Amino acid sequence: MADTILSVRDLSTRFFTEEGQVNAVENVSFDVEDGEIFGIVGESGSGKSVTALSVIDLIESPGRVTQGEIWYRNADLAEEFRGSKPEAVDGDLVDIRRLPKGVRRSLRGPSFSMVFQDPMSSFNPSITVGEQIAEAVEVQRRARSNPRSTRSRTQGYGLGSLLVDSLLPSKSYVDDESMDRAVELLDQVGIPDPEDRADEYPHQFSGGMLQRAMIAQALAGEPDILIADEPTTALDVTIQAQILNLLRDLQEQEGMSILMITHDLGVIARMCDRVGVMYAGEVVERGPLADIFENPVHPYTQGLLGSIPDVDDPSGRLEPISGNVPSLLDSEMPDACYFADRCPKAMTDCLTRIPEYELDGRHSVRCVLAEQEYDPADAVDSADATDAADQEVSADD
Amino acid sequence: MISERTRRNLRRELRRSLLAKLGIVVVILMVAMAIFAPFISPYSPSQQNLDNARQPPLGFSTAETREVTQMENGSVVIEDGQVVTETQTVYTNATFAHPLGTDGNGRDILSRIIYGARTSILVGLFGTSLAALIGVLVGLSAGFYRGRVDDVLMRSADIMLAFPSLVLAIALVGVWGQAQAPIPDPFVATGIAPAFRSAVGLPTGMPETVVLPGTVIVVVALVNWVWFARVARGEALSIREEEYVKAAKALGASDGRTVLRHVLPNAITPILVLATIQVAAIILLESALSFLGFSGADVSWGFDIALGRQYQSTAWWISTMPGLAIVVTVIGLNLVGDWLRDALDPGIEGEGGV
Amino acid sequence: MSLSRFLIKRSLQGLFVIWGVITVVFGLRFISPGDPANVLLPPDVDPEVRAQVIAELGLNEPLYVQYWQFISGIPFGDLGLSLVTRTPVAARVVARLPATMELAIAATIVAVVIAIPLGVLSATRRHQPADYGATVFSLVGISTPNFWLGVMLILVLAVQLNLFPTSQRPIGLDGIAMLLAGGDVGAAVDGFVTWLWHITLPAITLGTYFTALITRLTRSGMLDQLGQTYVRASRAKGLPETLVRYKHALRNTLIPVITVIGLQLGTLIGGAVITEAVFAWPGLGTLIINSINARDWPVLQGSLIIVAVGFVLVNILVDALYAYVNPQVAYD
Ligand SMILES: Nc1ncnc2c1ncn2[C@@H]1O[C@H](COP(=O)(O)OP(=O)(O)O)[C@@H](O)[C@H]1O
Ligand code: SF4
Ligand SMILES: [Mg+2]
Repeated sequence: MADTILSVRDLSTRFFTEEGQVNAVENVSFDVEDGEIFGIVGESGSGKSVTALSVIDLIESPGRVTQGEIWYRNADLAEEFRGSKPEAVDGDLVDIRRLPKGVRRSLRGPSFSMVFQDPMSSFNPSITVGEQIAEAVEVQRRARSNPRSTRSRTQGYGLGSLLVDSLLPSKSYVDDESMDRAVELLDQVGIPDPEDRADEYPHQFSGGMLQRAMIAQALAGEPDILIADEPTTALDVTIQAQILNLLRDLQEQEGMSILMITHDLGVIARMCDRVGVMYAGEVVERGPLADIFENPVHPYTQGLLGSIPDVDDPSGRLEPISGNVPSLLDSEMPDACYFADRCPKAMTDCLTRIPEYELDGRHSVRCVLAEQEYDPADAVDSADATDAADQEVSADD
Repeated sequence: MISERTRRNLRRELRRSLLAKLGIVVVILMVAMAIFAPFISPYSPSQQNLDNARQPPLGFSTAETREVTQMENGSVVIEDGQVVTETQTVYTNATFAHPLGTDGNGRDILSRIIYGARTSILVGLFGTSLAALIGVLVGLSAGFYRGRVDDVLMRSADIMLAFPSLVLAIALVGVWGQAQAPIPDPFVATGIAPAFRSAVGLPTGMPETVVLPGTVIVVVALVNWVWFARVARGEALSIREEEYVKAAKALGASDGRTVLRHVLPNAITPILVLATIQVAAIILLESALSFLGFSGADVSWGFDIALGRQYQSTAWWISTMPGLAIVVTVIGLNLVGDWLRDALDPGIEGEGGV
Repeated sequence: MSLSRFLIKRSLQGLFVIWGVITVVFGLRFISPGDPANVLLPPDVDPEVRAQVIAELGLNEPLYVQYWQFISGIPFGDLGLSLVTRTPVAARVVARLPATMELAIAATIVAVVIAIPLGVLSATRRHQPADYGATVFSLVGISTPNFWLGVMLILVLAVQLNLFPTSQRPIGLDGIAMLLAGGDVGAAVDGFVTWLWHITLPAITLGTYFTALITRLTRSGMLDQLGQTYVRASRAKGLPETLVRYKHALRNTLIPVITVIGLQLGTLIGGAVITEAVFAWPGLGTLIINSINARDWPVLQGSLIIVAVGFVLVNILVDALYAYVNPQVAYD
């Protein structure tokens, strides 16, 4: 078995909004191994993006990662902090949540990078695509030439450059060398005429080309883990396949790991080695692709798979089970399995919080069916399984 | 005209925002003060008392020093060949009779502020209504007919916008003169206010007329209609493409009817938001004109600020108090405007401020 | 469309607006009660003298002739003669321009230098004391009439504390430039200090509304930009926070702020008129007010034309700048 590059344990992320506390991610655990593609799949609103942003430390106010550990394998960091922060180090692994803020920021680029869903809004509209990619290269170039400044807030970007940059479309931060590298990267992701396209603005690109450019930007720091959050959702069907192939090829060339987030089981089937299924902020089932697809235990996973007749049919979408995804508002979450109100197999034993059960060391599931057979005598009506607050939510929508 | 959803948004935003509540309270208080001026004003705004001029507001007193030649037995004292003088200090204390003090002619500042609110609010309301009327007519026609009509109307709007509004207003009032229309104050004319005042023991003799500054109202409307025209045109342009408007036209409804029945009701929200901001802008414009002495008003916050300037070294409050009244009113209106904007989100811009 | 074609198109539009402005100003003559001869002559003047003056002023010519006389001289800088002093209006207006421009530019500088950092601070420290302070400041700032602010500043800083003069303009930048040209550096430095000392209160007075307005715009624009996905993407690729905020978010915030500053220049000039009145600042504003009080219509008309034309030109400039900093504008 390959080594684990990323190991997330009991991660919870909450948003403290005016409407109340939103438990967007709840006790999530999963591992990503060296050189694999790990998939996270779930309906929209199930907490996939928030999970990804928590890993890369980009949760913004009013949100906060409230608990959990994110272990990342990096021998250099482990060495550096073994003395000063022994609790954050375990062998070659470091818990990045316990590292100082500047260090966490310096991991973005060379350790983690991210491809977002909508390429058009993920580029600054008033700076050329080439310069934006070159910035990502430049950050790493400066980091190598002056490791100490990497963790500072400014990285030597002073008031003068700030004033110039705010008013003139100049390239004061990036170096020519970085621009050249940006063109190489554009070439690598299959953009024709990379020299010319580098000087164009995002609105001059097509969606597919811009998504390639964003992948190029994500590769600039030669990351260990590339997080792709619905990288094909905003694109035409024909282009989706091209982008997925590109990601696959790049993953093999660069030997990196990919955390692939999608609501499309077809994408999972085609790309991933292992997969985690998310529902209402929790990972309800995870394991190798074959286990999940052939022996799903959680009724939610079964429902998802039931909606695609053929695993090899990549067009399968998730709209399987009747009912609504819960709001994730803390005050409205039942003290029961979150799926109980939609579950065809809900029993009295389900009316309590369900732990994660290990099935065979590689496959785990958050459902009582891991330990007991469905007993119709014990069944509860789906409507009874929810508390009053929950019903209000569905009535409101 | 105002949908249930709109009302719900308004209520929700109001519950959320303390500032919105504050704004509404301030605006209501100011309007009430203007309407009920003859009941609540302690004195007539024009009642002078030269013996009691420049009395400071509550919490303050003034000490004025004077050089007085020293006298002894009816003749000046001379020492070393010099006339001996002594310094005398004259104290003036605040009284509850004039809580905000008195001006250079001994008129009660609080009373002048209460009556000044009438001028500001009259000009604000009538000026904005007239501006909205002109602007909405022009804007709706431009947006509804498009083409030639639109070009002509909007180019004339561009020409209006080339003049800074205050400059144009000064020029228009300056050239035009200052027509004012005194209209009888209903509370005084019917005898209600005098009866009330004598009953509670307040001095009577309140002004019998409210002065409607006609030229100023017309001028501020002429200067500010363009903002309404722009908003109304934008709304008309988008609404005319809606199916129901096309259907009404296809069914042979007259243009006027289509605009009144279908286009105007949909444009009303952004126009309302703009109007709130414009009342504030027009109150500021009126006070500027009065400050410069061009409005002809003699009971107006701006005018009183100008009057107080000649006492700036001895009686700071004469200029200060009416200015505070303007600031508070305009803050209130801006808060209400922000509330409407946040709740209704019409996405408009409009000039304000002097 | 290229930048040059865009500029040509905007200039043609500008010319049209300028023609409209001149025509409107010409029309002002017809709303004034009484004819200009009344201004010049005592009411009981001999009718013959009166007729002569009217003929001299061209007032008995047909309307189109008067219009042509009015408009034809303007391209050559002929704005007519003052009724009162009988001197060319253009010269008087031009003599007043530097004072007004100094004041407007000083106020803009005050506004931009204070407002943009304040707006950014407010947006990046959301819901912290700095943010509340900036929000209250901008609310009060946009609600305060500048003439009253000027009166208050004079009251406190000039009369009571004696820190600044109640203003007037003993020397202008044009005068300082002449001293420099004459080689008298010491006098020029003294002059500059005097100038600065006199312009401080007027510039604050005129600039406060704009400071408040730009603070508000910068804050909301910055909040809007910081919430965009591209900001998150910039952080995800490892950019330092200063770059994310200032190179990316701030620049996109400033692009619309520039347009608003352009749109508000009219308010700035309007504000300058009244600020000049408060501080006895000898600019176009005091000229306009004096010409109204003296019923000197040609001077009023000339000043209005200059103000409006200047405003149109500056707006074209702002549009060009906007097109230059914002690559997305297709110049349409
Ligand atoms: N900035 C935020 N503020 C409040 N709630 C948020 C925020 N971002 C995400 N959430 C909540 O977190 C939950 C999960 O969102 P997300 O991770 O984006 O779902 P997915 O990516 O699976 O579609 C949603 O219920 C959403 O309402
Ligand atoms: S725990 Fe019970 S309710 Fe939840 S998914 Fe499993 S069977 Fe269904
Ligand atoms: Mg998502």
